[in-house]
Amino acid sequence: MTAVTAPRAVGGRWASQVLGEAGIGVALVALVAFFLAFAPYFGTSQNVRDIMTQITINTILAVGMTFVILVGGIDLSVGSVIALCAVVAGTAMTDSGLPTALAVPFAILVSVVIGAVTGFVNGFVTERWVVPSFIVTLGMLYVARGAAQQYTGAATIYDLPPGLTRFGTATFAGLPAVFVVAMLLVAVAWFVLSRTVFGRLIYATGNNEEAVRLSGHRTSLIKVACFVIGGACVGVAAIIYMARLGVASPILGQGYELNAIAAVVIGGASLAGGRGSVVGTLLGACLLGVLSNGLNLMGVSDFQRTMVTGAVIIVAVVLDAYRRRLSVRLS
Amino acid sequence: MAVLEVSGLTKRYPGVTALDAVDLDVRPGEVHVLIGENGAGKSTMVRCLSGIERPDAGGMTLYGERYQPDSAADALQAGVRVVHQELALLPNLSVAENLFLHHLPHRAGVVDRSALNRMARDLLTEVGLDLSPRTPVERLGIAQMQLVEIAKALSGQCRLLIMDEPTATLTPKETGRLFEILRRLTATGVAVIYISHHLEEIFEIGDRVTVLRNGKHVTTQEVAGLTTAELVRFMVGRDLAHEYPPVRPRELGAELLRVTDLKITPAAPSLSLAVRAGEVVGVAGLVNSGRTEAMRAIFGADRSASGRVEVRGRPARLRHPRTAVRAGMSFLTEDRKAQGLVLDLSIAANMSLANLPAVSRFGLLNRAAEAASASALAEKLRVASRGVRQHVRALSGGNQQKVVLGRWLAADTDLLIVDEPTRGIDVGARYEIHQLLLDLADAGKGLLVVSSDLPELLGICDRIIVFSRGAIAGEVPRAEFDAERVLNLAYSGYLKGVAV
Amino acid sequence: MRRRTALTAVVTVTTALALAGCGQESTDDPAPGQAGGKPTVCLVMKSLANEYFQQMQTGAVTHVKERNDLTLDSSGTQNETDVDGQVALVESCITKRARAIVIAPADSKALVQVVAKAVKADIKVVNIDVKLDDGALQQAGVEVPFVGPDNRDGARQSGKVLADLLGKGGKVVILEGNPGADNATQRKNGFNDAVSEGGLTLLDSKTAHWETDEANQVFASMLTAHPDIQGVLASNDSMALGAIKVIQERKANVKVASFDNIPAVKEHLQSGVMVSTLDQYGSKQAADGIDFAMKMIGGEQVTGWQKTEIKLITKDNVGS
Repeated sequence: MTAVTAPRAVGGRWASQVLGEAGIGVALVALVAFFLAFAPYFGTSQNVRDIMTQITINTILAVGMTFVILVGGIDLSVGSVIALCAVVAGTAMTDSGLPTALAVPFAILVSVVIGAVTGFVNGFVTERWVVPSFIVTLGMLYVARGAAQQYTGAATIYDLPPGLTRFGTATFAGLPAVFVVAMLLVAVAWFVLSRTVFGRLIYATGNNEEAVRLSGHRTSLIKVACFVIGGACVGVAAIIYMARLGVASPILGQGYELNAIAAVVIGGASLAGGRGSVVGTLLGACLLGVLSNGLNLMGVSDFQRTMVTGAVIIVAVVLDAYRRRLSVRLS
Repeated sequence: MAVLEVSGLTKRYPGVTALDAVDLDVRPGEVHVLIGENGAGKSTMVRCLSGIERPDAGGMTLYGERYQPDSAADALQAGVRVVHQELALLPNLSVAENLFLHHLPHRAGVVDRSALNRMARDLLTEVGLDLSPRTPVERLGIAQMQLVEIAKALSGQCRLLIMDEPTATLTPKETGRLFEILRRLTATGVAVIYISHHLEEIFEIGDRVTVLRNGKHVTTQEVAGLTTAELVRFMVGRDLAHEYPPVRPRELGAELLRVTDLKITPAAPSLSLAVRAGEVVGVAGLVNSGRTEAMRAIFGADRSASGRVEVRGRPARLRHPRTAVRAGMSFLTEDRKAQGLVLDLSIAANMSLANLPAVSRFGLLNRAAEAASASALAEKLRVASRGVRQHVRALSGGNQQKVVLGRWLAADTDLLIVDEPTRGIDVGARYEIHQLLLDLADAGKGLLVVSSDLPELLGICDRIIVFSRGAIAGEVPRAEFDAERVLNLAYSGYLKGVAV
Repeated sequence: MRRRTALTAVVTVTTALALAGCGQESTDDPAPGQAGGKPTVCLVMKSLANEYFQQMQTGAVTHVKERNDLTLDSSGTQNETDVDGQVALVESCITKRARAIVIAPADSKALVQVVAKAVKADIKVVNIDVKLDDGALQQAGVEVPFVGPDNRDGARQSGKVLADLLGKGGKVVILEGNPGADNATQRKNGFNDAVSEGGLTLLDSKTAHWETDEANQVFASMLTAHPDIQGVLASNDSMALGAIKVIQERKANVKVASFDNIPAVKEHLQSGVMVSTLDQYGSKQAADGIDFAMKMIGGEQVTGWQKTEIKLITKDNVGS
């Protein structure tokens, strides 16, 4: 027993902490340094703002996805649900006849509620009938896409209130306003996950659901709540999308779910649940955004960019597994 | 010539020397028992012998040849078979497939099912398991799985058999059968390294015993002529006056729990029992006799068909563990890894899990309060760790069990149900846990203690309820405690019925 | 503690980015969009995985080599619906201070906002392939010239060949492109023009998302539901190929009018199952757009729709 209590080398503790938690951050800094050296215009403030704007939507989706993945679920429907949220909220703004000052908050409410409701359906079906969320949300992917197309008759909605689109290009303290929204969301999520009882139960449930249930907690409720949070984030992302692009189209968002999952996984989360952090997710989204932007500025062709992105995802996850083993050995 | 000779075996992990120049020799046809507290280095020794870990220093010879396995496959090749403490069966495959996974009989690449099942049946008969080789492993009870694991070890050439805690989940009858098998094996010259926490087993099956403490070799002796007290002293390095702490007479208080006509399924026998404040009620019975199922139903972990549960005289509809906890019940599960611990969370987080309101306010965690309360508990329970922020994954079995116990101590409920509280735990920690359970009873809590370890129940309980074949076969008060009587009751349900 | 480490990393990265940004902007900012004295023109394509757009890009590169008076910076998205990705590409062009942007928009409305941003940054923008939405442009307060073919007229011409062949009362179906896509709408409208002008009976009109395999399934079920179909109006050749496969399998007497003139349809024009398709000289479009962009950089005013050449292809002029 003294073996366990024996003091460890201080260097080992420090090294294991850096390796265990900041590995992805180190990779990101390295990538930024690389592009600063080789990609023209990469370091201009204009481009930094571009990157921030460009990662906003994926960051918001990935924050929601983090909650779902932490409880061992997955949400494949976000790309379709964002389209559904956008077209319904977009129509709410253009057709409701409300003045902009009322129409926009109303649309935000509509969008978040639709997102939350689809999330609830995903979570409820998953829990009530004990089926894999992979399958349920795959189904929702089709349902929401079809619903979005049905709702608009496949038309694109574009005459959105100028107030909203102005917000999409506005800056706040030098930062894109939409990015500020994403960062606020990240901060709130971080607080919830690390400082609240609910956050604690999310990690615990993802790690060992039965143990949490037998400790007197309703794990089903916790899991459904995570799906609802994930859905609500999609609703927020839909508003940001409309603010940024000025349109709501039923075909928008294809493949977004995979980008969001990639960000979460690069950020060090385990798809089995119980491990991950919203800060890691933010860094994962940054990594993907910086990579895409930097390669584009370097004039790398789109096909090669796609290949490099895929390779980086694989390398990131392999490195993550490797450093995790290393940090376990050091601890 | 010795079967296995180990000299100066050393294995270091950062900050820890798990094995420190350990010597060991195993003779043909002997059962060599390896004992020591958790963390003494037994498991590391097994990992080195089975090729999972490479030692940092020292050498091994097998039948005089240099033995330096780089992988589990190397060890297998050399005829070293291991039955690990953690079961390593594939739940979806059949028993037969699990037994012969490494060398499935086949014709031109197609699995020869009839040969497979025939071979499997022979093996199963050898370990005394009466079940179809086609049964999927997931349908077996944990004790049956253990026997399958043992059969698997016998399924090929075997020169040295290593068994790590094989009897942890076995009933006395099954243990007896296992010993028979071991005797038959050793008669053919196979050597066995046997690891166990059950001291009485050592005297029954062991020829020689090697004691490890803190990674060091303490002694190797003939079992004959040793006493339990001596063994314990070698292991702990100090005297434990008794194997069980003294039971002080207690005044029993009000009735805490009354279960009336509980039926797990509509066709199941109805169960009734009661626990009073300050009472330690043992629950005995064979594995799969329905005792764990009954406890889970009382706690609301599983749905029951019918029945009434009253806590402190008030009816409680226990559909979910949440209601049970709120009504003042705790439940320490038999499988601490699968149902008790959240391995990737800290000791503090695990300890607060059933008592979060006490360390939070408006849904916000007060981490300082949580750490303080966990530290106090860890100290009380003597959890050996680097601090309460350490993840429980890295703790030894005994310390992990203390962490789960700590969770329920923090919840401070009137009634505790503990299922196999000392399974896979070393002597020192066992004693501490027993002491703790008795302290709780002294403080007026009611306890239901489920255990396969009969001496444990006889050692600490006020009375023992005996389950047999899903029903309560009888009850024995402390004044009439007698191992044979309990065992007779445990088997009674199976004797009365049709063929076993 | 552990979270704090990660948080530090975020702050570090953000600060690094911001500092780098401030530093560079004020000091060694390269001359705007000027490389070796030649103006830089950004070509922003969509769906480079599509051979049609790939050809267009190749055509532009060759053309720029011949002109030799500008630097071409071309980029494109992976698929047709990656609106977000294309917006990012345009933003990069603005950051790079290109003198002009030639864009084939992935969405006729969603790109308007970023295009307006470019125009306001004093970058000349030329729209090719799919026309940006007039209403949306007006709302954004910018005017962008469009260089491209008249999809509606083209589809009408192609459809007319089929109408003339079948005569009044001929029973036809339409295979539409992606719902919501502007060129898909234009071609569908053009086919409908041909249907009403030629007095044809339209039995069904469905989307097959530009895809061969989907068109194969969609048309197979159409033919099952209406065994008397005489003609198919396919909004692109890829879908026409899917329909032709069904026609051949069932040995049905159905003729196809199509759009695009990709090499694969040549044999079907010769065999007669396809009666017409339309070449809008896609590979020239980007090059044409670049020409107009250069004119605008030179100070010329270019507005409105600059129609490019289209040509009806039938058995007679397909060649051998």
